[in-house]
Amino acid sequence: MHSVWQRLKSDHYGMGGLLVVALFALATLTVWTGLFGQGWAEVSGNSWESTSAAHWFGTNLLGQDIFQRTLFGAATAFEVGLVVTGFSTLLGAILGGLSGWYSKGWVDEIILWIKGVLDSIPFYLFAAAVAFALQGRPWAMHLAMIVTFWTTTARIVRGEVIRIRQQEFIEAARAIGLSQLTILFRHVLPNTVHILLVQATIVFVAAIKTEVILSFLGLGIQDGVSWGLMLAESSQEVLAGHFGNFIAASAALFLLLMGFNLLADALQDATDTRGAMT
Amino acid sequence: MLSGCGEPPSTQSEKPVKVYRHAMDGAPGSLDPAQAASVYANFMVVNLYDTLYRYKYLARPYRLHPNLAADMPTISMDGLQLTIPIKKGVHFIDDPAFENGIGREVRAQDFVYSIKRHFDPKTRAQGAWLWQNRIEGLDEWKSRGSNYDNEISGLRALDDHTIQITLTRPFPQLLHTLTQGYSSVVPQEAIDLYGQQLSSHPVGSGPYQMVSRDPVRAVLARNPAFRAEPFDLQTEGFDKPTQGGLGLEILQGRVPPFTDRLELEFITEDAARWNAFSAGEVHFIKVPVSQFDSVLSGRDPLALSPQFENIYQFRASQDAGFIYTNFNMADESIGYHPDQRQNDRNRLLRCAMVKAFDWEKRNEIFFYGIGRVFPGVLPPSVPEYDANGDSGYILRDLEGARKLLQEGEWNEDNLPVLEYGFPNSVTERQIFEQFRNFMMDIGYPPEKIRPLIFATYGDYQRAYSQGKVTLINSSWTMDYPDAENNMQLYFGPNAAPGSNSSNYDNPEYNRLYRSASSLHESPERTRIYRQMNQLLINDCASITGISRTLLFLWDKQALMVPDRSFLGGYYLRFVEILDSTTVVP
Repeated sequence: MHSVWQRLKSDHYGMGGLLVVALFALATLTVWTGLFGQGWAEVSGNSWESTSAAHWFGTNLLGQDIFQRTLFGAATAFEVGLVVTGFSTLLGAILGGLSGWYSKGWVDEIILWIKGVLDSIPFYLFAAAVAFALQGRPWAMHLAMIVTFWTTTARIVRGEVIRIRQQEFIEAARAIGLSQLTILFRHVLPNTVHILLVQATIVFVAAIKTEVILSFLGLGIQDGVSWGLMLAESSQEVLAGHFGNFIAASAALFLLLMGFNLLADALQDATDTRGAMT
Repeated sequence: MLSGCGEPPSTQSEKPVKVYRHAMDGAPGSLDPAQAASVYANFMVVNLYDTLYRYKYLARPYRLHPNLAADMPTISMDGLQLTIPIKKGVHFIDDPAFENGIGREVRAQDFVYSIKRHFDPKTRAQGAWLWQNRIEGLDEWKSRGSNYDNEISGLRALDDHTIQITLTRPFPQLLHTLTQGYSSVVPQEAIDLYGQQLSSHPVGSGPYQMVSRDPVRAVLARNPAFRAEPFDLQTEGFDKPTQGGLGLEILQGRVPPFTDRLELEFITEDAARWNAFSAGEVHFIKVPVSQFDSVLSGRDPLALSPQFENIYQFRASQDAGFIYTNFNMADESIGYHPDQRQNDRNRLLRCAMVKAFDWEKRNEIFFYGIGRVFPGVLPPSVPEYDANGDSGYILRDLEGARKLLQEGEWNEDNLPVLEYGFPNSVTERQIFEQFRNFMMDIGYPPEKIRPLIFATYGDYQRAYSQGKVTLINSSWTMDYPDAENNMQLYFGPNAAPGSNSSNYDNPEYNRLYRSASSLHESPERTRIYRQMNQLLINDCASITGISRTLLFLWDKQALMVPDRSFLGGYYLRFVEILDSTTVVP
């Protein structure tokens, strides 16, 4: 792990990405701890005020502060990203692990069939359909993403588990009489952490993007604010010459996604041992 | 910009094809008249089918005019029996549904059949409420199994060209219901052949017939067999002082429909609709509120910006209806409660919320400050409107609101959690957030006013019709120009799933409604309606209301007086597209 961090540190783009992500994470923490962003719903000014000391990014149609809403949008993005990444990675790891461990058996067949069915449906269409079907329920959007995101993680983990289970230390674990599931969960899956870490950052980015898209379509968050909602609002405003919502939400989204992508690339390079072996 | 005539002739000798292109902010669902529930469906249906009556094109206030009917009805002394003659020689369009594919003559029996369809469960009709318990024997016909062979005593064809309707009690609004798309005349042969497919394959006798339709566009062509009835300015209620500058005089004596083809573009996005209009792709637009600022140079009086004056005609129109937020009175947390003390406290809470509501702000933000705010359910568009009504009901009074909360012993901890329903859209969400802010100003905790979002307006309507929503934000578009249509919204027996979504049930209000139901517009009825309006205000059953001001812009090459309310789609037959050589008086 130490060498991974060393390699990551030497990647300037990766560190830049980490810095951006850290800044957004910090902003999120200020919202979660109640320091900032609590006035996202309050009408604190007039319609479409321009930038000022009172309203750093101006105000929207209702007179709500766009900066506060952008901050709260970051918290929404992180909340969705964390929940979806956590659950889908866990699900992907368990099902991928079982699938790989029991490769070519009936457990593997069933998991592969479910995965195949889910993967055959266009991703955004499926997420939107699940979110639409469950609309009104607070966790509809999260569930829609978890259901669609675990498959990729599972596929990668399955391949890695198939590789690991042929190694000698697994033979040794079998020889001393450990149960199948103990070997899988104690000795195999922990060895896929580097894959899960990279995959988690990719899922995190996808979750944020999907949250923004679903919220833009009105299928996302129920009570709160999201960059997607701000962009949806802006679609009615730009024609009248008001760009506050559009610039704030799209710039925040761009920065965070760029930061995560740089970090994900750097992590992938840092955890890839092939370069070290050559 | 658009050329004067839509498309060039194929040869030198042919007349150019006149095309009118119209932008609509929504798409119609079914075009079966029995299911023409939306304003968009109704807009098209009255052009594809015939109704017995319509409104005069230019007369304001609106006045009835025979359409398929040959004349106004003969009414018996007791007001219960109406005899309506229909025009002879009117034919349905040619269609495979008819023998040899030739449209046959429209008969009185077709009207009887069309109304019966509303009371046949197989039709899944949505217009039965217009005539329910009004026409003798009609409801019994339904309860006996909707057998079309059985006659109905109150709905008869005396001969091929005479209809007789017998009412169970006087119903002054009956003729208005016969202008609705719901009452359109449908041939049985078309139902027999197309069944449910009639929704996309209209077979009527209206001025236009369907050429094509998809989710974003419909094309209608002139019905070549439509009856030749020359246009007469005086008959249509032409008013020179207000309509003299529109060039309508050149239409005198000519036979509508004046255009060969209608192209109706369904563009739901405001920005896209405005772009289509600005680019000259459509002749007409109902201006989106987001564009009011650029379109208008002044609000009082409303004036068009100089940049648009030379290219567009402009008209402002008061919406026929109003926007309101109902309290669900069947919900014990805020409405009626069996315990008298709690019942009184709930009333105080509702009245406090009414006082906390800022109509001025709502008008400014969402209606460009040009909507008309009024107390109750009698908007400025009806003669019963009282300019000296209870204006305190629509004035924000935070201090008064807080006092009422105190009087009702309401505080942050014991205020009920309220669910505010709305269909999924950016504007609806903004309206909700503004409402919540108004209530936050009197100390209502924001987490206690929760959004209840529905995927479509239909889902939302179903939910509040089943009493599942506590705060119901909605709008009411009057079906006909008679205040009775508004008063019935709070009549107890009309409670959900009926039109009374607030479930308001005041015995005195109900008694007054019944006593006025057989009255025509008169000082006596006005007095009763105003009394009912005040009861509603005293009970704080609804936060109401505002009537929108709609702005219409249209290309100067299109001669017309557009209308979004009662006249609706009827005006399309009178639209004329000028070519560049025409001199407008």
